[in-house]
Amino acid sequence: MRCEEIHPHLADHLAGTLLPDVSEQVADHLRECPTCAAEVEGLQDTWQMLGTIGPHTADSSAMRSRFAASLDGFQGGLTTHSATRRTSRLNAYGLQFAAAAAAVVIGVAIGRQTAPAPVTTPDSQLTVLRDELREMRQMVTLSLLQQQSASERLKGVSFTNQIDQPDSQVTVALLDTLMHDPNVNVRLATIDALKRLSTRDVVRRGVIDALPRQTSPLVQIALIDFIVEKSGREATDTLRRLSMDDMLDAAVRARARQGLQQIG
Amino acid sequence: MTAVRDGDLAKLGLLFERHHGALFDFLTWMTGNRSAAEDLVQDIFVRILKYRATYRDGGSFETWMYRIARNARADYFRTRQALEPLGVEALSRPEPGPNPMRRLEADREQARLKRALYELREDKRELIVLTRFRGMSHQQIAELLGVDAGAIKVRIHRALKELRDIFLTLSDGNPSCDVKRSIRTLQII
Repeated sequence: MRCEEIHPHLADHLAGTLLPDVSEQVADHLRECPTCAAEVEGLQDTWQMLGTIGPHTADSSAMRSRFAASLDGFQGGLTTHSATRRTSRLNAYGLQFAAAAAAVVIGVAIGRQTAPAPVTTPDSQLTVLRDELREMRQMVTLSLLQQQSASERLKGVSFTNQIDQPDSQVTVALLDTLMHDPNVNVRLATIDALKRLSTRDVVRRGVIDALPRQTSPLVQIALIDFIVEKSGREATDTLRRLSMDDMLDAAVRARARQGLQQIG
Repeated sequence: MTAVRDGDLAKLGLLFERHHGALFDFLTWMTGNRSAAEDLVQDIFVRILKYRATYRDGGSFETWMYRIARNARADYFRTRQALEPLGVEALSRPEPGPNPMRRLEADREQARLKRALYELREDKRELIVLTRFRGMSHQQIAELLGVDAGAIKVRIHRALKELRDIFLTLSDGNPSCDVKRSIRTLQII
């Protein structure tokens, strides 16, 4: 192999993806050619130093919230868009249908003019109030979950129990707390709070994803309990991996094995 | 992604969890600006939703996603010419750890290499980021850029060589072409 012939192979040489026979030819050439050997040594040095540079760390929590909001917005937009499309399709049915509808509308309008004014029922007022309260609780929860103090975050987690149907933003915030909160008690409380939402796919998947990232045996066992009860067979692979992981606490491995037996 | 394409939009959350960190890293290297990278990650996931119908079964999702990422980045710069071009924000100050002298020297070398990487031309920097930091195979990069894998290998070799030259120039203490830019970076380091 000549000098110019080894250049196309150097990227593979550095990445360790050269085929064995080519690798031998490159090695032979490097033994014979000090110029190429020096170049490769320099490149290897740079390549290895590049490997020591860690990734830029994202502010995942903030990005997740923004993403959840965009997703909600997009889904809302989709609904409006499809409604608009339906309307335009209806318009295409023809003027005669519109004329008939107009006659009905005029009839209704006349009826409304002559009937007594509608009164807002106590039920509808109550619904509005409930919605406002729910919104407020969600806001308080999200704000508490961002606090520095672990007891405030605990309050935030327990607040979610007072929300009827937490929206996706609260769900994402809880999953984020489970993944990243430094306090074991907060993570344990989060697991309890998430049990109520376990009918949601995203929660069950999030809990399964969170399991391998945990280091506290207490949290690991609580998570295994959760997924055995709520996720069943979805979690088989994760449990199998945990049951064979020698780095884990023996109690965690035993619980994972037991969990595997429970879900069959 | 197939589920997202077929209407299960909630599954995009999983893709976001899996890929937002890697995309953020790629875009921070490519823009040198953390907040631009954050904005772009959001934009990319909105585009994934918008263009989900164009995803084809059997194709690599990662390659498809990075194609969207490259387009989003190009559009971003088209509309924001005044954005800080150099990765000033991304260069972190080295902090001494255990065995301070040796650690400090290693950190300095690393900071110099990062600076060299930011001084490298964008297309070359992109190749190094994709292959070394994002662990993409040459074949994947070739598909992403729409060129032959052989050409990608040669380009990576050249990019690395140039990176090393810039790194060595910086090590000698000779400021490269853009003195103003280098002085500003040095103040940060």
